[in-house]
Amino acid sequence: MVIADEGQLVQRSQKGDLGAFNALVEAYQRQVYNLCLRMLGSAAAEDAAQEAFITAYRRLDSFRGGSFRAWLLRIAANNCCDELRRQRSRPAASLEAALEAGSPADISSHSAGPEEEALRRELGRHLQQGLAVLPTEQRLAIILRDIHGLSYEELTEALGCSLGTVKSRIARARSRMREYLMARRELLPSQFRLKE
Amino acid sequence: MMLKALEQFRHRRFRRDLSAYVDDMLSEKARRRLEAHLHSCEACRQELAELRATVETLGSLPMAEVPRSFTLAAPPVAEVRPRPTARRLEFGLRLATATAAFALTLVVVGDFAGLPGGGEQEEEKPSGMLLSANQETPAVAEAVPVGTPAAEETQPMIGAVPAETPAAVEAPPAETPAAVEAPPVEAPAAEETPSAIVGAPAETPEPPGIWSRDVPGVTEGPTPAPAGVEEGVFGFGEQAQDKATVEDAEVDEEADLAPDGAPAVAEEEDGGLSRGDVVRWLEIGLGAGVGILVVLWVTTRFHRGIGDRG
Repeated sequence: MVIADEGQLVQRSQKGDLGAFNALVEAYQRQVYNLCLRMLGSAAAEDAAQEAFITAYRRLDSFRGGSFRAWLLRIAANNCCDELRRQRSRPAASLEAALEAGSPADISSHSAGPEEEALRRELGRHLQQGLAVLPTEQRLAIILRDIHGLSYEELTEALGCSLGTVKSRIARARSRMREYLMARRELLPSQFRLKE
Repeated sequence: MMLKALEQFRHRRFRRDLSAYVDDMLSEKARRRLEAHLHSCEACRQELAELRATVETLGSLPMAEVPRSFTLAAPPVAEVRPRPTARRLEFGLRLATATAAFALTLVVVGDFAGLPGGGEQEEEKPSGMLLSANQETPAVAEAVPVGTPAAEETQPMIGAVPAETPAAVEAPPAETPAAVEAPPVEAPAAEETPSAIVGAPAETPEPPGIWSRDVPGVTEGPTPAPAGVEEGVFGFGEQAQDKATVEDAEVDEEADLAPDGAPAVAEEEDGGLSRGDVVRWLEIGLGAGVGILVVLWVTTRFHRGIGDRG
């Protein structure tokens, strides 16, 4: 997703136009928030997302073109990594917070029936638990690629590493997620039962 | 047996490519090779199907709505950062340290390279040719502090070409016993020699016999220490990486070129290593390496001094 006059908005923001920056915030806040949600769980996601936008505003002059979304998500990702490091230093809360992250109540439903909605929620919970056990950088890569749909080029910007590294992180993360989901095949929706 | 191992190896390689294949990120050649393998490998076909299902499932996860708007009510207060002058100063200091370390390494390596194997080399040394070469290139100052603190007034020029023609050029130590005692890091000769011509050694004719004999000494002398340093530094990073994920260690991405290696290691947050940490360790490692080199060098010098006197 790229908003129409993004380039202009960025330029105006860089000159200190808060309104223009807020337009960018509105365009991307859902993605930033969801990244934080998947990385940190719902308890810390809100603060992390706000912090990401504040940091982004301060660092606007370091944005030198390319994908603004990738740049913004990189800031959010770094924030999440910092937060995870902090959480690790007080380990009691961290794992629970990561696992509790499941699909929270505020996930938008597609006006599905209650049964389908329950299934979807169950699936979301499993996926989140699978993601939670991945190493941080693999988790970031797979979330940005398969949930946020970033291109590989954007991923190199958002993760700050080479295409080769991006590919290998995604491959490893997917391989682990596959194993995780296969081990819980019976709990999952039809996709996983078809391919026997 | 061998064939089976090879087959296993190829199979693992193909498995690694499956993820990129799902995203259509393989090169034409790699794609065709993988497809040929898929044709014959049931396990890979199964894994590909499962991988696709995994990607599809992840893609079906709905995005949560934001709990509130994150727009900023007012421009945030500026970040407290070190003043640019302070940062520039720090950068300058680090640069100076790095340059000094590098120069010191040159000194030691040059000196090791320049160590004469024994007295018999003096006879083989074509000193006339060297002298004329040195007349052409009156000052090779930059090399002087480096290679030969030994070469004081007695033979300032000859000692000045340590790196390229080491043993041939070094002054016979027996003739300059006083010079051996010269403080190692000081460069007394540098003051006598006005300017630096680094290219000069190229003009110096190489006495082939000496050169070839000295090569092992050159390579064997100083290298082990830096190698150890590197192992130390990267070993540290790798430990952290191993802790983070065992799987990472066994699966190595072919496309990860060497320059990527370091940042990749640096980014392994799970080991608690940030990029800054790695740089710091690298600096410490370099410092330690240089220190070891200096000690080695001084010891060698000292022994040589005793040997000469004896």
